[in-house]
Amino acid sequence: MSTVTSFRWLVIPDETATEPSRDLVGGKAWSLWRMRSLGLRVPPAFVVTTEACAAYFAEGGLPDGLADELVSGIRMLEKQLGRTFGGTERPLLVSVRSGAAISMPGMMDTILDLGCNDAVEAALAAESGDPDFAAEVHRRFTGFYGRLVLGCTDDLEDLPDTASVRAAIAGDVDEMVPADPWEQLRAAVAAVFQSSRSRRAVAYRKHYGIPDDLGTAVTVQAMVFGNLDDDSGTGVLFTRNPVDGTREPYGEYLQRGQGEDVVSGRVTPKPLTDLHERWPTVHTELLEAADRLDREGKDAQDIEFTVQSGELFLLQSRPAKRTARAAVRIAVELVDEGVIEPAEALSRVTADQIRTLLRPEIAAGAADSAEVLVSGVAASPGVATGVVVDTPEAAQANPGCILVRKSTSPDDVHGMIAAAAVVTEQGGATSHAAVVSRALDTPCVVGCGTGTVESLVGRIVTVDATTGRVYAGELPTSAVDESRDEDLRRLTEWAEGATPLQVGTDVAVEPVFDADTLPAEELGEQLPDIPSGTKTVRGAIFCAPDGVRAALDSGVDAIVTAHRLPVLLAAIAHHRRTS
Amino acid sequence: MLDPYELTVHTLTLRQLGSAEQLAEINALPIGDVEDALEKAVADGAVMAARGNYMITPAGRAVLDGVYPRAFADLRSDPAITEAMDSFETGVNKQVLALTTDWQTVEVDGTRVSNDHADADYDNKIIAKLGRVHEKTQKVLRPLAHRDPLVDRFLDRIGAALIRAEGGESDYVSGVRVDSVHTVWFQMHEHILRLTGRERPE
Repeated sequence: MSTVTSFRWLVIPDETATEPSRDLVGGKAWSLWRMRSLGLRVPPAFVVTTEACAAYFAEGGLPDGLADELVSGIRMLEKQLGRTFGGTERPLLVSVRSGAAISMPGMMDTILDLGCNDAVEAALAAESGDPDFAAEVHRRFTGFYGRLVLGCTDDLEDLPDTASVRAAIAGDVDEMVPADPWEQLRAAVAAVFQSSRSRRAVAYRKHYGIPDDLGTAVTVQAMVFGNLDDDSGTGVLFTRNPVDGTREPYGEYLQRGQGEDVVSGRVTPKPLTDLHERWPTVHTELLEAADRLDREGKDAQDIEFTVQSGELFLLQSRPAKRTARAAVRIAVELVDEGVIEPAEALSRVTADQIRTLLRPEIAAGAADSAEVLVSGVAASPGVATGVVVDTPEAAQANPGCILVRKSTSPDDVHGMIAAAAVVTEQGGATSHAAVVSRALDTPCVVGCGTGTVESLVGRIVTVDATTGRVYAGELPTSAVDESRDEDLRRLTEWAEGATPLQVGTDVAVEPVFDADTLPAEELGEQLPDIPSGTKTVRGAIFCAPDGVRAALDSGVDAIVTAHRLPVLLAAIAHHRRTS
Repeated sequence: MLDPYELTVHTLTLRQLGSAEQLAEINALPIGDVEDALEKAVADGAVMAARGNYMITPAGRAVLDGVYPRAFADLRSDPAITEAMDSFETGVNKQVLALTTDWQTVEVDGTRVSNDHADADYDNKIIAKLGRVHEKTQKVLRPLAHRDPLVDRFLDRIGAALIRAEGGESDYVSGVRVDSVHTVWFQMHEHILRLTGRERPE
């Protein structure tokens, strides 16, 4: 029995359905359909189309018939899972999320666990045998609804229970979270539509020349529970190792867990072998799915999955986060596997990632006998040696020195730009010193304690901002050489073929502009002006992406630098953006 | 309140090494007034000039230390301002700093590494959160904005940076060389600390 065609405002991402239009169902629902069409099991869902969104704005409310279709859509999910929306036995909860054809910021976040109220909480508690879980689901839903539908701006995430979340919402907005699941659903759909006209979404479209009437679709998907019984659980799987990029599945599984448990760190999940031992068939099915998604996605995937009573559900698959080292390995490996072209590989690795890899490190063993003067929180990694100064003015007068302050403020930024490293007495990972140093890619250690400035000023020190230690004297460092690492060497070769810009130590074409010879007072928060007619630039600033962009925009032919790859990648990225 | 001369010298504590235009962008004075103030301040030794850029001197800081208590006496004795500042420091300010850190770094398998901005969903969520904190900050700082029009101007400039960040110009979240959310936020923080005579909490 198929009722798909009878819907006016809904589309069902069914594996037998033909490919839905992304314009109609949005990118997220399209990818759900994609997983279904690959034969993978995802929790059942339906989509309220962008046409319904257009009608919502034309009619000033949910269009005629949509409320009835929402009921039909939910009935279909109920039937597939044997659950009841708002039911007092085996209740069905759903997620509601936005999805435009072009993803844009300012759109509403996902509401999870919609369909919850006091009675449903009791039913969930009875079913799972875990009242804490049921209470947590209810609390979280109340927070999602309060923030996303009712527009409460208070921080609701850290409140302990549903009652306190409700109180916070009542204190901030005039409305309450409705108890009726159907009312929750209609309001959530309307809120998603409304979010496509938010200040941020409008600004984004204007900036990119995207038509302003491009609305959003709404995906309504059944929640599945990994904490239902011993045959249930939840986990994440990386198709490739996110730390070093090796092609081996890598992940965690938590029996009787819910998605948030793994992320929240409340419980320690087990390695995937745990799933293999308990459910070899599910484990095999998961690995096959992962392999499929890696190949189809042409990239390492980060897959969220839930096992509900022995049945595997895939919740999401998206490009995996990775370290710089893994990004390089994966990009080169994908070319070797014939999955992507070298040009594509170059777009998968950023200049910043390569800079990270090329950072010098303290030579092996050199720190063992060195004297640690102070230590603190490693806020921006890297190593630098220099003489310690304690004012931004002195730092400007001695480029390459180590700036040590009690803490930093906007007053110090010009000194931080000139310094090779920054050390502070106070502050943590979010302090001004930490944030600005990361933006500048300058090594930084914060929170070294009172007296640090006094004890260090005037000395030569080596700052190891990867471990957070400051050593007396100059320690030998070892720098990675991009021509000695096979992956980097190949990327460099591809990159040189992809841009006409000359990059290296012996590429200077006259006239040359050297930013490092500028007087101290011109080293500031802005990029230096490149004299017109300049053919070659050199200087530390032109090794960073914003310097590369400025150099290209002023029409130079060559950049002098020892590390070629980051500059080449920044240049290629700039060509890509501007062409 | 600060007169144009005092305000111009004060602006150089929010942004070191600024041109007259850049200072006017921050303090909203007519450019001519800023230029006049700078000229006088250089003659007084409160400000140093270097090729079109200006920098405050220790003497200039001493002048401001004398000016603030008088100029902001009313504001500093207002309990609503004290309450707003407490709420700012413990709430939205911490949130913005934490979000900026989340923007710059991501956790991969338990280790924090640089965010390579390959995950648009992750980035968009942070920008969306920054947007919500920005909206909340307008509420939190309302008592200060009533007394000092520059506070609203800072909030507008943070909003402008957010819009550029949302438009894909990622430098506008925490970049140092542009008027990013973080750059302007810190200028604003420094400004209201000086207004209220408070120390930076860390």
